[in-house]
Amino acid sequence: MEHFLHELWIARWALLQGMLLTVEISAASILCGSVIGLLAGIGLTYGKWPLRLPIRALVDCIRGIPVLVLILASFYLLTFAGINLTAVESGLLALSIFCGAHMGEIIRGALQSIPVTQIDAGRAIGLTFPRILIYVLIPQAMRQIMPVWVNTGAELVKASTLLSVIGTGELLLRTQEIVGRNFMTLEFYGLCGLLYFLINSVIEHLGKFASRRFALQ
Amino acid sequence: MAYSFQFRVIEDNFDHFLYGLALGLALAFAAIFIGTLIGLACAFATTAKAQWPSRLVGIYVSAIRNTPLLVIILFVYFALPQTGIRLGKLESFVFSLAIYAGAYLTEVFRAGLAGVPRGVTDAGRAIGLTGLQLALYVISPIMWRNCLPSLGTTFISLFKDTSLAAIIAIPELTYQARKLNTETFRVAEAWATASLLYLATCLLIAAGLRQLERRFPKF
Amino acid sequence: MTLLAIRGLTKNFGPVEILKGVDLEVNKGEVVSIIGASGSGKTTLLRCVNLLEDFNSGEIVLDGVAIGYTGTGSGRRRLGERELARQRAMTGMVFQSFNLFPHLSALGNIMLGLTKVRHMPKRAAQQLALSWLARVGLDDRASHLPSQLSGGQQQRVAIARALAMDPKLVLLDEITSALDPELVGEVLNTIKLLAKEGTTMLIVTHEMHFARDVAHRTIFMDGGLIAEQGPSAKLFRNPKNARLKDFLKRANI
Repeated sequence: MEHFLHELWIARWALLQGMLLTVEISAASILCGSVIGLLAGIGLTYGKWPLRLPIRALVDCIRGIPVLVLILASFYLLTFAGINLTAVESGLLALSIFCGAHMGEIIRGALQSIPVTQIDAGRAIGLTFPRILIYVLIPQAMRQIMPVWVNTGAELVKASTLLSVIGTGELLLRTQEIVGRNFMTLEFYGLCGLLYFLINSVIEHLGKFASRRFALQ
Repeated sequence: MAYSFQFRVIEDNFDHFLYGLALGLALAFAAIFIGTLIGLACAFATTAKAQWPSRLVGIYVSAIRNTPLLVIILFVYFALPQTGIRLGKLESFVFSLAIYAGAYLTEVFRAGLAGVPRGVTDAGRAIGLTGLQLALYVISPIMWRNCLPSLGTTFISLFKDTSLAAIIAIPELTYQARKLNTETFRVAEAWATASLLYLATCLLIAAGLRQLERRFPKF
Repeated sequence: MTLLAIRGLTKNFGPVEILKGVDLEVNKGEVVSIIGASGSGKTTLLRCVNLLEDFNSGEIVLDGVAIGYTGTGSGRRRLGERELARQRAMTGMVFQSFNLFPHLSALGNIMLGLTKVRHMPKRAAQQLALSWLARVGLDDRASHLPSQLSGGQQQRVAIARALAMDPKLVLLDEITSALDPELVGEVLNTIKLLAKEGTTMLIVTHEMHFARDVAHRTIFMDGGLIAEQGPSAKLFRNPKNARLKDFLKRANI
């Protein structure tokens, strides 16, 4: 135990840095992904077929490919194509695309569950479609989107571990480096799992809090 | 530098890709099988009158769902041997994916059970079925039908998760693509092939499950 | 001959007393209807008799055997699941919301109890189930799933499912309440037929005409107790209890 505490003290900054990067990557990718997802979702629900079809194909393709493959492919392909992104950047790109495709489906589902008469009602008071979206449709869709959105956040924290494979120094890679030094696999992989559990528990509780707020409205 | 596609490389190595795909499917199948058993046991345990089974299952589900699969895989593969539990590469991966799948499937089955109307189980009791008979002949068939759609999505996502086996050097599809990538530098071809194979398999599984849903119409 | 004897039955849901000491005897071949406002404990009484609910004190004796519990007083213990199941099979129950098994055909609904509880061979169970479907006029619907049947048809299948088990006593819990008005008749006619054949029935109902015309005896429940009972014709013509008078007036009979 004393030995473990000693090693933990040595590793404290590495672990903290890793955790910070994990949170940063997850937050950035869910933000980018949500924007992509919102556009995709709106296109899928209200777009005419020349717009809808390619989005549908793209979303389905991305959802049929494992995240790890997306990450590796974007890492190797971009480098090979001469686009010089850092590992973090190409990983972020892959996670955002992954998140965007999933959010797109979620947002489409939420928007489709709103009666079409709501659009008519908006038109009747003279709103343009973008305004109907912002003031009428999206607020109503939020209640359905919120819980799933939080869930997606937790999924992204978990998916961010895959960036360790392309050498991004997030929590898991830091842990692997530490274990590589002191060989305390049981203790540090266990600790690593616990830290992820903590991060996701915080997200889960924030989510419950947020959905309660939304449910009250 | 202009990049010209050379699918010769893929042709030459297609056997490897197919082998990788088959291995991934086998891993998924084994893990889903064990995970289904875990999920069924846990879901039915939560219907018990006593409180402690529900609480225990709740801890298992939230612990696994909030931990990244890759951390579980590395823990089982690298850390468990320290406690004397030594598993082979494949076994350790299947074990990891199975306990991961078990947590998700518990949730799926629990939702399915919640969708069994109370009155229908009353009716089963009223004609004198015992608890086990009730579970077997009345509750289970309704539960399976209820969870068919979400079972489908869970199965597909578990199949995609077999790509993580590449990280502990199990030669499945992702591993093969990466190997070809680093050995021949046919980057685009390697990843396009792997992606297409994953995609096709997912679509195939989805189509199969849709057929199944059609065969067993909603009540 | 007494088939069912209920003595001093009480039942609480938490702090709420639903049944406050019900005494009731039903003879073999008798049809007894229970009327009363909602919340008076009618349905709970029926569910206690079929052991779908436990009860706090008192006893239910069916065909000479006290059911649901062993021992008395502080030594009183709920029977095990197997024994409860065996005793439940002695009574048949038909529910307000039909509660057919949605995954089984009309025939399958009736056969399940016959093969798994009565352990009949499959062929014999099928024969018996078909003959019961014919008796409720649905032999041409044997392979239909419940979702493919109308409400009235579903309820007739449910009646056949209960009766095919050859129960000593049949419990009917507001079996027409969930039906469209035009479908009520076909279900009540089926029950009239059974009454004529001498089936012992305990019927909770909101159909006052039906209670008056079919039941030998009617029971009025109020606040968890039996407030008045008597031969149906007499009770409806000449009610004594003030609350019953009020109830019948509002029921417009």
